[in-house]
Amino acid sequence: MLKGVWTFGLWCIVACILLGCGTHYQWTKSHPAYRIPPRDDLAVVGADKAFVLIRSAWFAKKLNISADSIQTKVTTECANLLTDELKKRYSRLKVVPSSKLDGLPEESLKLDQRIFIKGKFPEQGVMVADSSGNIPKTILIVHEVIIGTDLSRENYFDYALIHNEGPEKKTSNNLTAIASYTLWDNERQRALFSAVDQVERPIVKISMGDIEELVRDIATQIQRNLDAGAGL
Amino acid sequence: MKKFLYVLLIGLLAVISHAKDIYFDSHYTLWKDGDILIWNVDKSITIDPKEFCLSLKRNNTSIGDPKCRIFGEWERDSVALRYATWLGYNLEPGTKAEYLKARHPAMIAKIQALEDKIVIYVSKVEGVVRVALFDETAGKPKMAGTVAFNSDPIALYDDMANSFFDRPAKRRLTKKEREKMATEPDEYYQETPNFNGWIGVGLGYSQAKIPLTPDNWYRSHIDSKVRKYRVTKDSTSLWNFIDDSDPFLSLYAGGTWYGFIGAEIIYRLAKHNVKTDSKDTSYDELDHWYFYQHEIGLSIHLSKTFPMNKWLDITPFVFLGFQYSFFVEEIDVKDDVKKPSAAYEKRVEFEEVYKGALVGIGSQFVFAKHYGISLRTGISSRGRDTYSDPSPDAAAEPTTIGGSTIDCFVSLGLEYHWVL
Repeated sequence: MLKGVWTFGLWCIVACILLGCGTHYQWTKSHPAYRIPPRDDLAVVGADKAFVLIRSAWFAKKLNISADSIQTKVTTECANLLTDELKKRYSRLKVVPSSKLDGLPEESLKLDQRIFIKGKFPEQGVMVADSSGNIPKTILIVHEVIIGTDLSRENYFDYALIHNEGPEKKTSNNLTAIASYTLWDNERQRALFSAVDQVERPIVKISMGDIEELVRDIATQIQRNLDAGAGL
Repeated sequence: MKKFLYVLLIGLLAVISHAKDIYFDSHYTLWKDGDILIWNVDKSITIDPKEFCLSLKRNNTSIGDPKCRIFGEWERDSVALRYATWLGYNLEPGTKAEYLKARHPAMIAKIQALEDKIVIYVSKVEGVVRVALFDETAGKPKMAGTVAFNSDPIALYDDMANSFFDRPAKRRLTKKEREKMATEPDEYYQETPNFNGWIGVGLGYSQAKIPLTPDNWYRSHIDSKVRKYRVTKDSTSLWNFIDDSDPFLSLYAGGTWYGFIGAEIIYRLAKHNVKTDSKDTSYDELDHWYFYQHEIGLSIHLSKTFPMNKWLDITPFVFLGFQYSFFVEEIDVKDDVKKPSAAYEKRVEFEEVYKGALVGIGSQFVFAKHYGISLRTGISSRGRDTYSDPSPDAAAEPTTIGGSTIDCFVSLGLEYHWVL
């Protein structure tokens, strides 16, 4: 019995050392003032320009869409779907046109020692109005949503890895989406919460429905993270 | 009692009403005779630059003759105006400097162009005056906080001066001095030399008893006396025959390579009296009897240098080595003794040479790269010179005198250092 405890303890120590040596990332960051997650009073910006499809030729073949139009078709559909899905979760969701962020410099926001989000943020001292001219309290800025197969987010956001040019293994076991976004306090012009999320769905027989399900998963994940980021 | 409580309460209220709240302080440099620029965007209070300057001078005598003015350039600039508005939203209790960074490239450039000027942002909100200070070293406030609003402007300025300008002021550098500072090498930066050598002379003291060890380990050796020129209770240690606690002189030379590993050769000289028993009449003929202890040792030296400042380097080290010890006898009978006794002729003889180990720690304090003081302490031993195979009649062989002689030592040395 005692020997068993000792062995278990020893394995725990070994496991801790091994885990400790591995890279541990922090994928979310909250502002100390972020206490209350948005309920209904949310606006979204950038979804229409955020989607990127990786391995579009493969998708075109599988989905039977011409290779020329696959990128536009899938990303437009995904963007609309994401907005709709967010509307289901935040009933009074407003849309701020992406043009409001045009002309602003791309800035980076640090989540972790090695993880940096890149995106456009509204200026300090300027409140952004939605399409109907109202000033929303908080805005969900969707920076980028990458859709592909078997992706991992560290390859896109760890600055030590993003310049790697090693041969990529092209596997297609899972459908992956990597979404980076920021919850913006529009009244005080500060980032309340930022995150990089990765969602996956196993590929059985790929159809447009699978991609739609993936986008639904993103919307669910975003809501869950916004709540968790406020300490709920 | 009640009256006393009232007085206490009023006093407490007065303290609270004058309370300041510093959110953070990144220790900015306050320049003597500096420029203080008042950035009062929302005009929620009026700041009189002249009176403010006088308050600064009253509350900080080291500040010299500062020049204060309204910072019109920033008050009219749209980028700075936006940042000021934003600062008004975000300057809240408990905030940190990193959450107040200016993001607009033009605003960052404006802050970086300040060059020794201090910008003081002021804004009155709900009975307090929010203050944030900027200098050119960071694109965010260097210090921020609040002071309680006071309708008497002089009292308010005094409060602000006391809370935000209470550090000793430094003289501003001239343009030429700045250029020189920029090209000067960092005094803390120095290359580790390939070789650092030294020679030294030291004085020390050694004894058989090692501190913090029990007395009874040594008592029999230390207390023993020599009778009839050779008789002691035990002869494994030389300290049965000769005094153990004596000063010594040492000469040494050594060096380290790459600031880490080195070697040192050391010569040590000490004089030890033989512990003759004064009650023993056989010593009546004796004039003097003592031994010179000569030791030559070689040790490995492991060290690490810590540069303290321009003129002092501290190098702690450990050393581990071996040594050869020679005991040279000095004995003579009194002038009037014609023929020494038989006991004198058959007196104790030490081995020709003893071999031992030495181990210890120390530290060198090197001033102006050349002149060092070295402190060291350690333990050294002396044993038989060579190991011989045990022979069949080993039991019959006499024991080596002083085959296990150990002492500890401390020494202080003066050294000369050089680097190659």
